[in-house]
Amino acid sequence: MSERLEEICSIELPTGESVGVHRRRFTGGLGPHVAIVAGIRGDTPEGTRVAHAVARHLSTHHERLCGTVDVYPCVNPLAAHHGARHWPGFDLDLNRRFPGRADGHAPDRVARTLLDATRAADMVIELRGAHPAFREETQAHVRHDQPVALERALRANVRVVWRRSAELQGTGTLAAELPGLICLEGGVGNRLTDGVGLELCDGVLNLLVVAGVLPEDALPFHWAAIQRPLVATDEDIVRVRATRGGLFLPSGRMWGEVEVGTPLGEVVDPIAGETLEMITAPVAGRVLAMREQPVVYPGSLVARLVAT
Amino acid sequence: MSVVFRLEAPYRGEYALHRLTFGGNGPAAVAMVAGLHGNEVNGIQALNLVAGMLRVMRPKRPVHLLPCVNSIGADEARKRWPFDDRDINAAFPGDPEGAPVERIAAAVMDATDAELCIDVHSGATTVREHPHARVPLSGPELEHARAMMLPVVWRRRGDRYEGGLVGAWRGAGREALQVRGGRGLALDMDDATTLARGLVRLLAHLGLISHQDTGTPSHDTDHVQDYRSMAGGFFVPEVQTGERVVSGKLLGLVRNPLGGEPIEEIRAHKAGMVLAVRVYPMVHAQELVVRIAEDAT
Repeated sequence: MSERLEEICSIELPTGESVGVHRRRFTGGLGPHVAIVAGIRGDTPEGTRVAHAVARHLSTHHERLCGTVDVYPCVNPLAAHHGARHWPGFDLDLNRRFPGRADGHAPDRVARTLLDATRAADMVIELRGAHPAFREETQAHVRHDQPVALERALRANVRVVWRRSAELQGTGTLAAELPGLICLEGGVGNRLTDGVGLELCDGVLNLLVVAGVLPEDALPFHWAAIQRPLVATDEDIVRVRATRGGLFLPSGRMWGEVEVGTPLGEVVDPIAGETLEMITAPVAGRVLAMREQPVVYPGSLVARLVAT
Repeated sequence: MSVVFRLEAPYRGEYALHRLTFGGNGPAAVAMVAGLHGNEVNGIQALNLVAGMLRVMRPKRPVHLLPCVNSIGADEARKRWPFDDRDINAAFPGDPEGAPVERIAAAVMDATDAELCIDVHSGATTVREHPHARVPLSGPELEHARAMMLPVVWRRRGDRYEGGLVGAWRGAGREALQVRGGRGLALDMDDATTLARGLVRLLAHLGLISHQDTGTPSHDTDHVQDYRSMAGGFFVPEVQTGERVVSGKLLGLVRNPLGGEPIEEIRAHKAGMVLAVRVYPMVHAQELVVRIAEDAT
C-alpha cells in the first residue's frame, strides 16, 4: 500500500526550464486499475479540485484500496497557469491532439504519454469543467454503445447521464481514443462552483466502489445519498439558441422544470436596452445548462435542455 | 461589392460578409477566399491585388472574391473568431441555423458557388511560408496549380483534405485548392504579390482574362520534409524561404537562449527548396523549424 507522486512527462521549455506532468498513484494490492484525469484544458479548475479532493480521501484510506488509482490532477499545467483553454505558445487544444505522438512536440507527447498510461486501465474518468460561457448541471457523458460505462455512470452522482454518439465526441479527444471513458462535468468554466465539486467528488468515490477498488464502508457518505440521474440520448438534449444579437438576460433556473413556452430569458439591445427577443423553452424538460456570459450573436447557444 | 451575409454583432453594429464580383453574367467560374483566419493578412493583400487587376481586365465570366471573411478577427489581429474563439475554418460546411461561426461558414459556402474555389492562407505567426499551392496528387487541381506558377506545388494525398473550407468545397463537388504564403500577423509584400500574380495567371489560363505574365515552372513535389528541433532553445536560421539547398546544407542552429552556446545543428538531408522557416526563434523540442520541398528523385 503506497502513495507516490510521479512525473509521467517533462515539458522542456525553450529557456531551458521544464514543467512536469504528474500523477498521484495510490496502490493497494491486486485489483482493478482506475485513472482519473483532470485539466486537459487549462480552464477547468473544477476538475483539478475534484481530483485533489478524491486523492485526499484516498490518502487517508489507501490501506483499504484493492487495486491502483492514478490521479492526474492537471495534464496541461502551462495552460492552467493562466487559466487558458489552449496550450500556450502552440495555441493548441490538447483535447484535439489524441492519440498524440511519442516523437512529437510537447502537446503531442503529453497526449501520447497520457493515452499510453491510461489505455489499459479498467476504468477511466475524465473530469472537465463547463465551457467558460456556461453554467452546467452535473452530468456524465458516455458513448452510446458502451453499456458498461453507462451502468457505471448511473452511479456517478450526477443529474444526467448523456449517451453521446461517437461523432459528437469529436475527433482527437481522449474520449474518442478510450470508448469506455466516463466524462464528468459541471459548474462554470474557469471557476469553482459551490456544491459541484462535492457532488462530483462523491460521484468519483462511488465509481471507485463500483469498480471494486474501494470498499463501500470507506465512503464518506451513505451510498443511498447518490443521485439517480436522468438518462438522455443526443435526441433528448435540446439546444436553445438566440436569434438576435445582444445581451442575454437569463430567467430560467438551473435544473428547473420547464414546459413548452416557459421563459428562459430575453435578449436586449446592449445600448438602448429594449427587448429584442424573448426566449422560451421549445420542449418540456429541465434546464441542463444556462449561458452565463451574456453577449450573444444570432445562433449563440443560450441554454441546453433535457427533454423529459 | 455586395454584402452577402449579415449577423448582428452586439455593441458594434453588425458583422457583414463582403463579396466582390467581377465579370459578366452566368454562373461563377472562380471563387477566391481569404481571411478565414483574421490575422493572415497576406491572403487579404493578395486578393486585394487581384481585385485591382480585375477592375481593369473585366473577366469573361463572374469571379467572386471574399478578401476578408473573419473581419472582426482581422480588426483584433486574431486568427479565430473573437467572440467565442472558434476557428471558422473548422466550422465548414457550416449550418445556417447554428452557432455564429457555423452560420458564417454556411454563408461562405453559398457565396462561393463556383466551378473552381481557392482558399488563400498565410503561415502561422511563428513560421514564414514560401508561396505555394497544396493540391491532390493528380487531377484538375494539380493542373490549375501548375498554371499559377507559384514557386512550389505541393502534391498531397487526398486524405489531407478532410476538413476545412477546401474539404467542404470538394465534398460539394467543386474543384478546390489552397494556396499559402508569408506568415501570420505580418504583411510580407513579396509573398502576397507572388500569390496574387499566380492567381491572375490562373484566371488567364482558364481563359477568363487576357493577360501575359511569364513565369518559371513551379518546383513540383510530393516529398516535403519537416525539420524539427530535437531540443528546445533559440533557433537561428541560416536559410531563407525560397532558397535552394543541397544535402548537408546548414539550415540553422538551435542555441541556448541564455548564453548562446550551440545546442544543435540542423542540416538538410536532401536537396530542395526551403518552403518554410521559423521566424519566431524560441522553439520547443520537436517544433517545426524548417520545411524543405525536396527535389524529385
